[in-house]
Order: sequence, then structure tokens, then C-alpha cells
Amino acid sequence: MADAQSLRQLVLGRKDVQDLSDTEQDLPPDLMTVNMGPSHPAMHGTVRIVLTVDGEKVVKSDVQPGYLHRCFEKESEHATYTQIFPYTDRLNYVSPMINNVGWAMVAEKLMSIGKDIPKRAEYIRVIVSEMSRITDHLTCVGASAMELGAFGPFLFFLKCREWLYELLEIVSGARLTHTYVRVGGVSKDLPAGFDERLTHTLDEIEKVMVEVEGLLNNNKIFRDRMAGIGAMTREEAIATGCVGPIARACGVDYDVRKDYPYSIYPEVEFDVPVGTTGDCLDRYLVRLEEMRQSIRILRQCLKQIPDGPVMIDDPRCALPPKVDTYNTIESMIRHFKHIVDGIKVPAGETYAFVEGGNGELGFFVVADGTGRPYKAYCRSPSFVHLSTASQLIHGHLIADIVPIFGMINMIGGECDK
Amino acid sequence: MSETVTLQIDGQSVTVPKGTNVLEAAKLLGIDISAFCYHPGLPVVAQCRQCLVSVEKNPKLQPSCQQVVGEGMVVRTTDPQSTLARKQQLEFTLVNHPIDCPICDKAGECTLQKLYFEHDNADSRVDTPKVHKDKAVDLGPHIVLDQERCILCSRCIRTCDEVAGQHQLEFAYRGDHEELTTAPGEQLDNPYSLNTVDVCPVGALTSKDFRFTMRAWELDATPSVCNGCATGCNIEIHHKNERAWRLVPRHNPEVNSYWMCDEGRFTYHGLREGRLVGATVDGLPAGWDRAIKAAADQLAVGRSAGQFAVVLSALASNEDNFALASLAKAWGVTHVYVAGKPPVPARADGRLRVADINPNHAGVKAIAEALGLQLKPSFELDPSIRGVLALGDVLPGIEGERLASLAYVALSTHDSAPVKHAKTALPIAAWAECAGTITNNKGRVQRMHAAFPPPGQALPAWEVVVRLAQASGTKLNWTHAREVFKDMCAAVPAWKELTWAREARPLALRFAGSRG
Repeated sequence: MADAQSLRQLVLGRKDVQDLSDTEQDLPPDLMTVNMGPSHPAMHGTVRIVLTVDGEKVVKSDVQPGYLHRCFEKESEHATYTQIFPYTDRLNYVSPMINNVGWAMVAEKLMSIGKDIPKRAEYIRVIVSEMSRITDHLTCVGASAMELGAFGPFLFFLKCREWLYELLEIVSGARLTHTYVRVGGVSKDLPAGFDERLTHTLDEIEKVMVEVEGLLNNNKIFRDRMAGIGAMTREEAIATGCVGPIARACGVDYDVRKDYPYSIYPEVEFDVPVGTTGDCLDRYLVRLEEMRQSIRILRQCLKQIPDGPVMIDDPRCALPPKVDTYNTIESMIRHFKHIVDGIKVPAGETYAFVEGGNGELGFFVVADGTGRPYKAYCRSPSFVHLSTASQLIHGHLIADIVPIFGMINMIGGECDK
Repeated sequence: MSETVTLQIDGQSVTVPKGTNVLEAAKLLGIDISAFCYHPGLPVVAQCRQCLVSVEKNPKLQPSCQQVVGEGMVVRTTDPQSTLARKQQLEFTLVNHPIDCPICDKAGECTLQKLYFEHDNADSRVDTPKVHKDKAVDLGPHIVLDQERCILCSRCIRTCDEVAGQHQLEFAYRGDHEELTTAPGEQLDNPYSLNTVDVCPVGALTSKDFRFTMRAWELDATPSVCNGCATGCNIEIHHKNERAWRLVPRHNPEVNSYWMCDEGRFTYHGLREGRLVGATVDGLPAGWDRAIKAAADQLAVGRSAGQFAVVLSALASNEDNFALASLAKAWGVTHVYVAGKPPVPARADGRLRVADINPNHAGVKAIAEALGLQLKPSFELDPSIRGVLALGDVLPGIEGERLASLAYVALSTHDSAPVKHAKTALPIAAWAECAGTITNNKGRVQRMHAAFPPPGQALPAWEVVVRLAQASGTKLNWTHAREVFKDMCAAVPAWKELTWAREARPLALRFAGSRG
């Protein structure tokens, strides 16, 4: 036996577990530092957490974003206002339409044409924004459930998300990177038959939501891993600058759509769900309710949307029709100048913000009168929320990082800007 | 101080010298009154009517280019009447303009595009066919005219008259059949003809050399100085993809005003053709370390016997010449030679072109004098000389056979005839590829900026000199052209006050608006 044991030690380089003495089996008493991410299935995007753990308990953590190298703000200084729309698609790439709308609004505010956007364009913007909000929450909730072992809800929700992506694709031409909104309106009108397809899809999504809630809401494993985990107080949420579903789960009744109404949000009815405990379970419940409210908004929009143009009639920012571009020198020059020099935005600086999937998404732009921003800054909710992660996971077990991180819903493209 | 006049433009007060026109006075306030025919370097004709403004107590709108300022004058550029007049004028200008932007060389730097976009931007109201004219009229050796694009501003006619002093262009016919054409019996062929392409506010006149080669808005502009002759016209190098695509004049009232000669514009071709891209020792390629060591060894023989000559170059920058002259002084040489291209007396025309086609003769003279070195022309090379260290590839008066018999070390940009006889040839950067200064025939020291890196292994000549000095055990420690410049200015009394300008970052022309 002794020979076999020493042979095993020689091959494995250590003793086998059954050969350890009682004292040797104790866990080491000192703290250990481990990496979680940047390549880890539960780490969204490319973020790394350097954990100092006492056994399974986190005593210190260092959350490190910055591995994505997006350079959104710097790149924006070299692109025309229109060329920046594709960049905004890649901010929060789960709900790109809302980012598009935010960017269009900042340029429109600088040009003082915010009030002149055609009604139909405003309705379309809200429709695609709310669809994007639903895709955002579907992904967040579905992925978090999957990371806690519930694979079914993930598949159900991703199926719903795909329905919406398909609709957004027939609207914009691209499944994910839509680049659909333009300064002054939207690039093209909704396709024929869109109303019926969206109405049908919303009905189906509601059915799936009932199914998923049945699977999760009273699921003991899910509740045990969500309730009381990563809780934040109302004051902490305000002090750290949290917005969106995370702040609302803590009882902060702040929604840009209600508090600083933009576009046609004042013309539709919806409620802002607010939580009480501020833990992961409340964040989950708030997101589910927000999806229902978005569906409510969408149904009203489909009823109320007027006919009319989808682009402002202002030569400063509207591209001329192609037939004119090819046949008159005036439109040809305007088209050329829009494309090569960009839309001339008057000098000034301003901040415009919308309610993104994760909360207030704002753009601060300093314009110098040329076709490109002198400086663009993006107030991205994910970046703020990620800054609270270290504080939220403190004292929890390593396994709790997964639901906490999932419910923060950090999106790399928005965080590394 | 001359007399000044104070007037009001759009409610703002401005004081300008007497005799200034309203358009220039408005420019001082940052007010851009649109204009086509007005050019600050040309006589005023007020024929495009694009710069009309309201002047108080004047019943009719006035062309601001022709309206001279008066004391207490009240000018309005944004009132409905003058704004409408300028809009309508643009509409008329565009009536017969062809839809050429996608194929037009001027697109992106076109004054017509700029003014339409900023001052009109209205849709077309014309439904009649456009008047068609000739599309590619060969006006002369360098220029092609598109008569449809021409907006009849007459800037080119005035440029030929004033800058070249030759009346070669004219208008013919009337109304919408009016067109630009060459004067009877003439063609557009003068040493300054390409300035007409620069001043053309649209793409009517295009340079045969540049047309269809590169889109204007893709280019980067680096300020520099023309190395074509001793005048030292200020220029911009327009470059992209590490090569120059054209040279255009840069305004300097003291040297070249807004102009430069055609010959100077074509000097950029020399930056690409026949370059020496790698060091050679005895005709075979070598790395820098081996080449420098070989050069030091080859020169050591002649140096020890005192049969050794250093040849400066009137074609190289002050820094390169100062570095080489400093090395010569450190090696105990008492007189240096200067090489350059022979003068071309026929060039001198009392305008910009001069006989001396070397850009830096004055600089070499000043440097040699400051260092106490006697300066001799290269054809006076002493027959006893056995080793030569020469800057540049132009060595007049020293034949190939003589060079082949010498221990000849060449610092050269080009792989030209004399360099082929070199025992060691060291590649150096040309004028557009490194920072430096040159001195023009009036003694003005002007700064050149590096537009793109030198080809292959080439290094700035002063750096090669430093390496050669170090390999020969001589102490020269410069690490930047700025340091060479600083020591040089300390040595040359006339240049004591000069300072080294910050390196210019290339300006992307797409940010620069129109250059019309």
C-alpha cells in the first residue's frame, strides 16, 4: 500500500484526498486572490473582477472594466453627426434604438429643431425604443435565470427577443446594429403590415411572460438566490447615481420618460413600477413589470400613430430625395455636403437624455459649428451601475456575484466608452 | 500708422485702415459674406454680385468687395433684402451648373458647394434643360477647362494678367452662352498658369497633373517651403498614403503672396522618383551600422593625410549643412566646398522666379561664415584631395572618373549619377520628409515640416552626420533637428533671435472647407 501511495504522490505531484490527515484537510486560513473574468461565462462583456476571498466569502473586490477599447467619445470627434449613429448602436447593443434616439435628440436640441420633428417620426421612435426596452429586459432576465441554472426561461425569452429583432430588422434592415434614427426623424417609414405583426408578437410575448413567471417567481432555488442578495438602499442608489430599473427597485421613482418627458411619451399612459427592498429579486420584478408597461405603450402607439412624413422638412439636416440628388445640382451639392462635411450643427453645448434600457442615457456635446462634434460625452448607465458592483458583492458568497452581476446588467459597449 | 476708419457691420463696430473694402472688414469680425469673383490678391471687379450688402442711406445694395469703408458707415449683411439677393444670385449661378460633383476634382474644396450649402440650401426650381458647353477643353500644357462648370468669375483671367503679366484668357459670347476661352492666338501657357486652378472657385480649371488622381477631401496638408528655387515660396504639401499628391501656395505677403510657379509645383515628383532607399558599401546593400563604419574608415585615410574635402549642399537644409560643417570643423578642415545646381538666368522674371534654383545658397554661406570656414565652389576641388564627404547628389565640376578614384562618401536623397561612384552611399531624407529650415535669397529663414516619413532606411542628413561623427570618435550629440537648430542659431549672429516652431500636425482638408 505504501508503495502505491508514494507512486500516486509521484505521479500527481500531491497526496490524494483520502491520504490527507485530518489537519491537512483544513482549508488554508489566509485570504486568497482570484480572478473572475474577463473571460468567464457569467461576466458580461469584458470585465474582470479581482476577488479577495475568505473561503467562499468575498472580502474585497476590484471591478475592472476597460478591456473593450470602444473609444466612442474620441471617435465621435472625427465623425459627422450622422456617422455617429452606427457608433451609438454599439453602446448598449441590446437596445440600440434607444441610443439612436438619444443621439438624434442631442443634435436636434443643438439645432433647435426638437419641436419640429414630424409626429409620425416621434411615434416610430417611441415604438422602436419600447421594443428595444423589451429586448433589453428579456435578455437581462433570461440570461440571469440561465446563470442560476434555469435554462428554460432563457430559451423562452430569447425566442421572444428574436421575434422583436426580426421586426426591428424589417424596419431598419439590420437585426442588431440598426442605425435607423436620423437627425430630424427616422431613415425610413415602417413597412407595410408592421402593425399586425407587432400586435401579434406582443400577444405572444405576454403569453411567454406568464409561462416564465410561472417557472421563476415561486421557484425556491431562484428566490433563495435572488431575494436579499445585493440589496441597496434608496439613499445609496441616489448617492451612487444609479438610475433605471436598479434605482427603481430601491424605491427611487425616477424615470426620464415621466420626469423629463420627451418625444410623445406625454401622449401615452403608462406606470413606473417601483420596488421596496432594492435586492436582486426586486430588480427582476421591476424589469418584468416594465416589459408589461412597454407593451402597453406600444399598443397605444399603434392606435394613435398618425400618417405623414417621417423626416423633418429642413434642408439643414434632411437628405434630398435620391431622384433629386441625381437630377438637380442643388440637391447633389446638399447631398455631397451632408455626407462629406456633415450636418452643420450650430456652435454651443448641450445635454440630452433618454430613458435607456438600463436608465438615463445622456449625451453631452460641445459643438463648434462644423459637421463634427468638438467633444462628445456619453453618460452611460452601465458605467455608473458597475461602479456600485464592488460595494454590492462585498460580504456575499462567490456564487452570489452571478445574480448580482446579472441584475446590474452591465453592457460592455456602453461601459467602456 | 495710416489713417483708420470705424464702421458698423451687423451692429458690431470695427476699425480698419482707410481704403479697406467692406468684405475684408467683415472678415475681421468673423462675418463670412459670400463671394466668388473677389480674391484678396487680385483686382476687384464686382461682377459675381454674390457679396451684396445693405449700406445705410444707400438706396441700392452694394457689392461689399468694391464698397470702400467710410467713417460711421452702417452695413447690414443679414437683413432680408441682402440675404435674399445673395440667395437669388446663387440660384442663378446654379441654373446651368452641371451635376458633376461626384466626378469633379474640386468637390470637397469647392466654393460653390460651400456657399450654396451655407447661404442658400434651397431646392431647384428649374425644369428647363441646362445649357451644354464643352467638357474637356485643352487650354495649354498644364490645364484642362470644363466650360459647363465655369461660373464666369474671371479670377483666372485676372490671375494671368496680374500674376504672370500675360493676357491669355478671355470671355467670349454673351448671356448663358458666355464662356471662358483663350485669347486669340494664345494658349494658357505661362510659368504661373496653375495658380488659375487654385483660384478657380469651382472645378472648371483642373490641373492635368492632379486631376483624377486623388479626392481633395482625403488629403492632409502640411505647411512647408518650396525647394524649387531661392525664392522659397511658402507652400502646403497635400499628401496621403505617405506620398505627396500636389503642392499649393500658402499665403505669405512677404515672400510669395498667394502664388507660386508651375515649376515649383512639380518638384514633388522628385520626392518619389529614383530615391536612394538603402545604404550601399562598394555598390552592395549594407545595414546602417556597417555602412557608417565603412564610411568612417574610408574617410580616415584621407583625413590623416590632410587630403580630405567636405562638400556642403545648397539644396539641403540649414540643419543638415550646419551638422556637416560642424563635423568638418571638428575634423580640422579650414575650407569647405559648396555644391549646387548651376543658375538658369532665363528663369529670372522679376516676379517669383529667380535664376538661382538652389533653395539654400544663402544659408550655406551664413553657416560657413559663422563657423569660420572658407567656402569654395565644388568645381574648385583641390587636385590633391583623396577623400570626399559630400552632401547631396549634385556635384558640378567633379567628373565621374575623378569621383571613382576618390574615397567618396555620399549623403544623398537620390540614387543619381555621381552617387553610383560612391564607395559608401548613405540615404537621407528629402525636404518634405524631415523638419528643418532653409534660407531664401532675401535671407529669410523659413521652417519646413515633415509631411510623411522618408522611404526605406533613409534618415535626416544631420542624424547621419551625428552617427558618422560618433563612429569616428568625434563628439556630436544632437538627438533632434531642434537641437541642431538651437546650436546653429547661437553660432550665426543674424539668426540669434530665431525660435523653433512647434511641429505642425497635418490638417485634414476635409476639415478645412473650401480653398477656392
